[in-house]
Amino acid sequence: MPNERISRIPPGSRDLLADDVRRRREVQSTWFELAHSRGYDEIIPPTFEYEEVFALAAGRDLASRLIRFLDRDGKIVALRADFTSSIARVAATRLRTEPLPLRLSYAGKVYRQATDDGGHHREAFQLGAELIGDGSAEADVEILRLAIDTLTALGINDFQINIGESRFIEPLLRDFPEEEAERVREAIDRKDRATLEGISGSARFQTPMFVSLLDLIGRAEVLDRAMVLAESDEAWAAIARLQEINSLLAPEERARLVYDLGEIRGQDYYTGIRFEIFIAGAGRSVGAGGRYDGLLGLYGRSAPAVGFMLETDAIADHFLRQEP
Amino acid sequence: MKRPLRIALPKGRMMDQALAIWSRVGSGIEDGSAASRRLILPSADGRFEFLPVKSQDVPSYVEAGVADAGVAGYDVLLEHQSDVLQPLDLRFGGCRLVVAAPAGAVYPHLNGGTTPRVATKYVEITRRFFAGRGVQVDVVYLSGSVEIAPLLGMAHWIVDLVETGRTLQENGLEVLDTVAHSTARLIVNRASHKLRLEEHQRLIRELDALTRDTQAPSLTGTFQS
Repeated sequence: MPNERISRIPPGSRDLLADDVRRRREVQSTWFELAHSRGYDEIIPPTFEYEEVFALAAGRDLASRLIRFLDRDGKIVALRADFTSSIARVAATRLRTEPLPLRLSYAGKVYRQATDDGGHHREAFQLGAELIGDGSAEADVEILRLAIDTLTALGINDFQINIGESRFIEPLLRDFPEEEAERVREAIDRKDRATLEGISGSARFQTPMFVSLLDLIGRAEVLDRAMVLAESDEAWAAIARLQEINSLLAPEERARLVYDLGEIRGQDYYTGIRFEIFIAGAGRSVGAGGRYDGLLGLYGRSAPAVGFMLETDAIADHFLRQEP
Repeated sequence: MKRPLRIALPKGRMMDQALAIWSRVGSGIEDGSAASRRLILPSADGRFEFLPVKSQDVPSYVEAGVADAGVAGYDVLLEHQSDVLQPLDLRFGGCRLVVAAPAGAVYPHLNGGTTPRVATKYVEITRRFFAGRGVQVDVVYLSGSVEIAPLLGMAHWIVDLVETGRTLQENGLEVLDTVAHSTARLIVNRASHKLRLEEHQRLIRELDALTRDTQAPSLTGTFQS
């Protein structure tokens, strides 16, 4: 008889065996083959880092989900919660004299605390790429293209990328006190029309923008409508950037993109484009990405950057659903 | 061919009210099929299929994407904090989450600085509500018959849902405070909303028009703290 105390594993952890492993390794090998062919060298950041690496970059949500422990010298370390933060630290410190742009790829696990109400893993496989040192629309397109080509190389045909721009919404939120801004952000994120109408209608914020955000979803014509609504230079620049990206994409790539200006999910460090990736049949997004021009500066070397990430586990689950 | 949009509905009275609304946008179910024990009930026009589940489970089904959308009480959404879109207040199923206690109870602080014990089904909401008031309480979870807890000396106060207040009255309890107003909400799976945008937008538009036109505006469900 197995010892019950030993055979139980901590909630949110798991053993992967046989086909569960095979599917993940196949995804990773397809990924690295493509990444290397595009000049993205693999980087393996450490499994744990000083917590500041993640705490500096992360928003409140991720910062509260770090798995931390005390190191021998009393410093607090955290398990890798986010590849982008680790890679930005490496690029800003050890690689600080390397000429830009840097193209880096990775695949491995991230570790995050999760609620213990079942079904939530505390470790998850991700893969992705970072393009560091290029602030142009061409760089945004290179990353979007890499994401699209990765899914295509994996044999996934029914997918969609919803893309927004941080600079379109952020200027509007600056008018609010912090707590209220949080509430507005949440209402935008939940597409909570009633709350947004309340805000748009209040005397202090006579802007129909918040409600319009909910309808600014669709193909390129959405950008024309958004341009009319843009009230600040930043918002205007945001739409101009998305239009530039749209014109740089090939028609079959454009067909994958949905402009979604109410899209505010994702890491707090995104400063420009931000996107989420959806595949048919999966109940949640399977990947994300965006531009983070302020992140490397936090580690001591200012440089624009853009990247994307796929949830390897979600892709493996997708293949599981496809199998007979 | 995509399957119809699948809507998770909370079994019981709220499901009847929801089905009545759907039938007014032309997507009701066949007469009598609500009483059948089928797992999934198709709408007569083929646009939707309805999945009757326990009310507390609606957010889980929608979050996982097993259902594309659902109807859930705002109280359930507050308690579970599920990662779903909440585009619409459906303005039915109105009720209040309240703090109640036997007549004459002391509130919000007990004499002598004793830490109050609060019995409830809504552990998360109760914690957040009292934390927001700067009051420390011990929360005792009960899955039902919460109103008898103060009578048995198990708790000083309770946090529970009231519609008419009759259950409270019958147990000699009085409302001391309002935690939140609750109504039925339309919730939508995030991925499904992106991938089947037109269908969701159409449903939201139709339900919005209907609930705005024909029913008195409800108390909105803002969390008072």
